[in-house]
Amino acid sequence: MQKQRGKLKDLIFLSITAVSAFAVIAISIGIFLVLFKESLPSMNKFGFEGFIFSTEWDPVKEIFGATPALIGTLITSFFSLILATPIAIGIAIFITEIAPNFLKSIIGTAIELLAAIPSIIYGMWGLFTLAPIMANDIEPFLQSTIGKLPLIGKLFEGTPLGVDLFTASIILSIMIIPFTASIARDSFNLTPSVLKESAYAIGATKWEVVKDIVLPYSKLGVLGGIGLSLGRALGETMAVAFVLGNLNQIPKSLLDPAATVTVKLANEFTEADKDIYLSSLYYLALLLFLMSFTILALAKIFLLKAERK
Amino acid sequence: MTPEIEVRNLNFYYAGGVKTLKDINMTIYKNQVTALIGPSGCGKTTLLRCFNRMHDLYAGNRYEGEIIFQGQNILSKDTDLIELRSKIGMVFQKPTPFPMSIFENIAYGLKLRGIKKRGELKDRVEKALKDAALWEEVKDKLNTNAFGLSGGQQQRLCIARALAVEPEIILFDEPTSALDPISTGKIEELIISLKGRVTIIIVTHNMQQAARISDWTGFMMLGELIEYDKTDRIFTVPSNKLTEDYITGRFG
Amino acid sequence: MILNKRKIISSIALFICFLTACWGIFWLSFILVDVIRHGLSGINPDLFLKDPAPPGEEGGGLRNAFVGHFLITLFATLIGVPIGILGGTFLAEYGRKYNISKIISTLADIMVSVPAIIIGAFIYAIIVKPFGHFSGWAGAIALGIIMIPTVVRTTENMLSLIPWTLREAAFALGAPYYKVIIQVVYRGAATGILTGIILAIARVTGEAAPLLFTAFNNNYFSLNMSQPIASLTVTIFQYAMGPYEEWHAQAWGAALIITLFILFATITGRLLIKRRYKE
Repeated sequence: MQKQRGKLKDLIFLSITAVSAFAVIAISIGIFLVLFKESLPSMNKFGFEGFIFSTEWDPVKEIFGATPALIGTLITSFFSLILATPIAIGIAIFITEIAPNFLKSIIGTAIELLAAIPSIIYGMWGLFTLAPIMANDIEPFLQSTIGKLPLIGKLFEGTPLGVDLFTASIILSIMIIPFTASIARDSFNLTPSVLKESAYAIGATKWEVVKDIVLPYSKLGVLGGIGLSLGRALGETMAVAFVLGNLNQIPKSLLDPAATVTVKLANEFTEADKDIYLSSLYYLALLLFLMSFTILALAKIFLLKAERK
Repeated sequence: MTPEIEVRNLNFYYAGGVKTLKDINMTIYKNQVTALIGPSGCGKTTLLRCFNRMHDLYAGNRYEGEIIFQGQNILSKDTDLIELRSKIGMVFQKPTPFPMSIFENIAYGLKLRGIKKRGELKDRVEKALKDAALWEEVKDKLNTNAFGLSGGQQQRLCIARALAVEPEIILFDEPTSALDPISTGKIEELIISLKGRVTIIIVTHNMQQAARISDWTGFMMLGELIEYDKTDRIFTVPSNKLTEDYITGRFG
Repeated sequence: MILNKRKIISSIALFICFLTACWGIFWLSFILVDVIRHGLSGINPDLFLKDPAPPGEEGGGLRNAFVGHFLITLFATLIGVPIGILGGTFLAEYGRKYNISKIISTLADIMVSVPAIIIGAFIYAIIVKPFGHFSGWAGAIALGIIMIPTVVRTTENMLSLIPWTLREAAFALGAPYYKVIIQVVYRGAATGILTGIILAIARVTGEAAPLLFTAFNNNYFSLNMSQPIASLTVTIFQYAMGPYEEWHAQAWGAALIITLFILFATITGRLLIKRRYKE
């Protein structure tokens, strides 16, 4: 009897835990299905190419196209990635290979706190503190230096407003540094110390050991970390919403205001008074979900491979 | 016989203050094979890693005494570790191929020394691989990843890598303990063939191996060098009771 | 010659790495100092004790948002944490041998980083639209869903750190598996799981995006979770983007409180885990 009861209770507990675990799958699939269903009207009206290759976003005429938002998302994400990646890797190298022990944990914690600060704080600080500095000092300075160069100069044309792609990307880059840095640090730590010793043993300098042994050995992990950061950058909302201006245009320079998918969602979702308007926003959300999910899944695959090695 | 290294009153402390080597005195002779034997934890690997200052990679380790090599005390603060390590190579317990091709593994040390000409690199890589008796096995796949080699081949690759930069001394830290008997035999032959060209110091847990390949043997216990003599004397007429007990297998 | 060149290159490269670390520290201090500086001037008793004054008028506070934020976070925790812990238990215990557990585990890792605003849109479609209005519940569920994958993963990790022999010892006494888990495994992993919960709460406390179109906002004090309810983060967004100096000051004050809470929670979590798993 006692044993029977124990078995029954065990079965009940097992079922509850299993249901909870499967909730993760249910939520993931649920999100996809719901976003898909909600975007159907817009899909039917504009199609796939008709949506992503159209620049018009006119709620009055009920014409919606995703190009400006998608371009804004891609530019801010990739530009911030370009800024953040070398710095994050440098930080990881500093923590794992250079810093004395007491500094290791201090800097490690500081960098992780950078990840803990909520995005709304980044956004507010960006709007009130960073944007004026960008508009008054940094952007004019860049215009008078790099701005004079051919080709690259084009990126810095326009009136420095501070509320633009450049400022948004800088903030995003600060926000994603910790993700790449902490994964790169973990991957560097996986490099067997005897492998590093072998390189030191034939007379390599510390930098040569890092560059030729540690980085190649941990490249999968670092790539995974970069992917994770890209996934984060694609979906970041609030920080960007403050400093991008939500202007539906295709930017000509980094100093232009723009929109991203997330910023459009944040600003317009509650204003969408017509079904097709809301459906088009859902269509954007679906595209964003698919993009970030794919990137994150790839990053995860890299990380799993790196672990297995 | 010319002395290559003089160890004088060497003490070594790991971070945390544990004294692991106690008053070691010994002379290593040029172009001979010197084996260090003793029970595990006796300090033989610790001693080996003093010769190329490997302990400096980790904070808090401390040396006392002197190791004289080419007229300099290599334990002094002014020693250029990178230069020192390019004269004293090392082969580890487990094979440690770098994450690059077979060719690049060997060429790496040469490139660090500024050799950039493709032709010269090729010649010296080939020579090193031949010296390590690996050339025939890998000559057709020099550009493949070194991780694809068998354990024994990887270890010979590491020896070739050490040889390529023409060091004065090569340190071997139990180089065959992770290998099968056939690969072990090949490595032993290789070490014997290197005699007379390069000074070799080898740590081994295998007494027969020490007897087979070395000219000199040091027996260590609890951080002390108990006895150091010609190998045939150590294994036939040891002067210390502890040495005798160890080599006759009474403990270990 | 070449050796010197190599050493100089090495020193320069390592120095650059040092500078990157300074770059990170620089922004952290810049942001924190700025938030504290502005925030302190925005903090006064009214901020906590009064509800918002009509737009443009002097005075007023964010009592409604503090209370609303607390309620949303509380219910989100009540939703997210149990499901997360139980789900993590399945992955580490009953289901550890099945491939599906690895898939769920990987999926949870991905879902941790999926944009929070997507979750908001999801909840809008399945809760806000059918009920016809925004509500505190919708916000709490959205945040709860965001918590689940984080808690699932930390629970799974912490449980699998408990040595298998410990479970075997309990089995040997004739205990059924559920008792072994609850009485032995959970107890061993308690600190770790608690840390996971703290970090998950810290994360959702700062979320604004998923609340924008679920809990929405409310200028009046409300305890009714079935109606729109104010939250600090949405209020910060609204106030900071708004035209009034008074609003900006209050937004900074709220930002300081939220930042301090989150940093405190994060550091506590890290210290807990450090103390527990110090070799």
